[in-house]
Amino acid sequence: MKSNLKRFLKWELFLFIFLVGELIFFGLLTPSFLNVQNLLFSINDFAYIGLAAIPMTFVIITGGIDVSVGSIMGLSSITVGVLWAGGLNIWVALIIALIVCALAGLLNGLIVAYTDVQPLVVTLGTMFLFAGIALVISGGSSATGYEGISGFPNSFVQIANGITLGLPNSIWLILFFLLIFGVLLHLTKYGRNVYLVGINMKAAKYSGIATKWIVMSTYMLAGLGGGISGIILTSYFSSARSDLGAQAILPVITAVVLGGTSILGGRGTVLGTVIASIVVGMMNYGLQLSGMTSEQTTIIVGGMLIVAVVMRRFNINYVKKWFVANGSTTTKGS
Amino acid sequence: MKSLLYKMIKVRELSILILMVAYFLFVGSINSQFTNLDTIVLVVNGSIILLVMAVGQSFVLLTSNIDVSVGSIMGLSAAVCGTLLASGANLGVVVFSVICVGAVIGFVNGIGVSYLKIPAIIMTLGMLGVVRGLMLLYTKGMWIENIPNYYKKIARIEILSIPFPVWIGVILVLIAYLFLTKTKFGRYFYAVGDNTDGAQLLGLPVNVVKVLAFMLSGISAAIAGLIFVMNIGFVSNQTGSGMELQVIAAAVLGGVALTGGIGSVIGAGLGAFFFTVINSSLVFMKIPAYWNSAISGFLLILIVVGDSRFQKYLKKRSLQNQKNSLEENDREKQSKAIP
Repeated sequence: MKSNLKRFLKWELFLFIFLVGELIFFGLLTPSFLNVQNLLFSINDFAYIGLAAIPMTFVIITGGIDVSVGSIMGLSSITVGVLWAGGLNIWVALIIALIVCALAGLLNGLIVAYTDVQPLVVTLGTMFLFAGIALVISGGSSATGYEGISGFPNSFVQIANGITLGLPNSIWLILFFLLIFGVLLHLTKYGRNVYLVGINMKAAKYSGIATKWIVMSTYMLAGLGGGISGIILTSYFSSARSDLGAQAILPVITAVVLGGTSILGGRGTVLGTVIASIVVGMMNYGLQLSGMTSEQTTIIVGGMLIVAVVMRRFNINYVKKWFVANGSTTTKGS
Repeated sequence: MKSLLYKMIKVRELSILILMVAYFLFVGSINSQFTNLDTIVLVVNGSIILLVMAVGQSFVLLTSNIDVSVGSIMGLSAAVCGTLLASGANLGVVVFSVICVGAVIGFVNGIGVSYLKIPAIIMTLGMLGVVRGLMLLYTKGMWIENIPNYYKKIARIEILSIPFPVWIGVILVLIAYLFLTKTKFGRYFYAVGDNTDGAQLLGLPVNVVKVLAFMLSGISAAIAGLIFVMNIGFVSNQTGSGMELQVIAAAVLGGVALTGGIGSVIGAGLGAFFFTVINSSLVFMKIPAYWNSAISGFLLILIVVGDSRFQKYLKKRSLQNQKNSLEENDREKQSKAIP
């Protein structure tokens, strides 16, 4: 009885119900919203948020944070663009860009793990650094720094815009990320260690876990996620710019925290992050269909972030306690 | 002599000042125009918005919280200031209502963090989005351009050949410094940040202090908005975006610790000034402007990591000293005991 209730009251399920309610609400508001084709393709608009948020979940579970991920998106985008414009094969350029982003993440991780500077400060610094490097790369290669590089080959543009088996590629990519990172976090020893580091760093260290490696590797994953996200953006817009993703950090962290990951570490799931990304994305899409500009929707998204945390703190716990208390009295009575 | 040097470096304000002077001389040796008084006044003037916000942010950081909503508070304040001025409102009314905007948003932040126990980064990150959206609703996404001339001229008033905004900055830093170091209530900010539970047990009004810190941060962002309109003369719909991270970086550069209880507003002010110095020095060294963020980011990391290493070293050294003196005491005792 108790465990059933607990399962029922899980945050992911609540999010899912919320998502369904959201879809119905917007469907009633603007009937064109429920066009399945449009709905599926709207995921293209925010897939990049989910792709960056999933690895970010790992970082936040260890009790850290990475605000440089937006800059890493720009870095990855411009690296692909400049290398390709320089005559390199697009796929080679893509792989080099991903390596660069993983190295950027490694730099974050190294500093966080081997000094006692707080992760927020470290990634704040690298946020400027990576955004700066991206600007330098783009400024050094052409006269105007903000002008994008475009004209990519069709096969590259199809990464984000193409369709496989009737579904947009971005959906497949998110499912792939969900699978890989879900297994990594929830079913491997590595994943368990990530939680342990977040719950109690010292205990983890004394029980023989290589805490420094765990912390470092999560930042590397976040960097890689930012890199992939940046490439998807580049492919989606078919243009490489150094400031792509500059505004992404708010929605990415919103998705992770709304998904149930505790900002203090030790708690969170990949599935929650994925559902929350879709909730946020659909909210944006629905509000824009009903006439709001994308900037105005930040009011709702920002408000949602705050309300979600308050609700997790009070309501759910309160409801849980109430149910559990009532459940135990009824079983006693019978 | 050596210990004096250590003490000097330990005082963060002094070390950042020395670093800054060295940097000034370095850039000056490449291009002597940089060390001109005119240039320096220009740079100081350019740093005031960041400085005012960094001072406000310090109150929040001292209580071991963080406020990332200040960028959009500044944007909204600038927009409110612009529209009120354009509609011909009295200057006093404008200043009062803009400061109220900042105070109210800061108050909401503070209530969320202290009474609802929402982690500060989440609360203010959410508020960042909310306020940014509100600003765009308020301005309908348009730029505000018809600011009356008399207001823009205030920025060019010079007292003792120093521009008016600089005076505002200096006076605010002084007031904040005196409040934090010389009054009983000011010390509460340090106490709350250093040990929240301890402060609570001592009977300090912990929640009131936190709410007040966020309100001061909001008000500082509002004042920055007022100065922005004065200096720039128009309000774009991107005003203040990205400022929050620069503000925190400036405070951290000036030695204010994110863990709370450590740092001073003077340091934060110097950090903000140094940040601006770095940005404006590139032109004088004939480095393209797009190197700005790369260099400031690199310096920020270098200084913060260097400082952390140095503090660790100091700790180790003082522990070693303690150990040595303890051993000496033991030896003395033993030698006394033998006869």
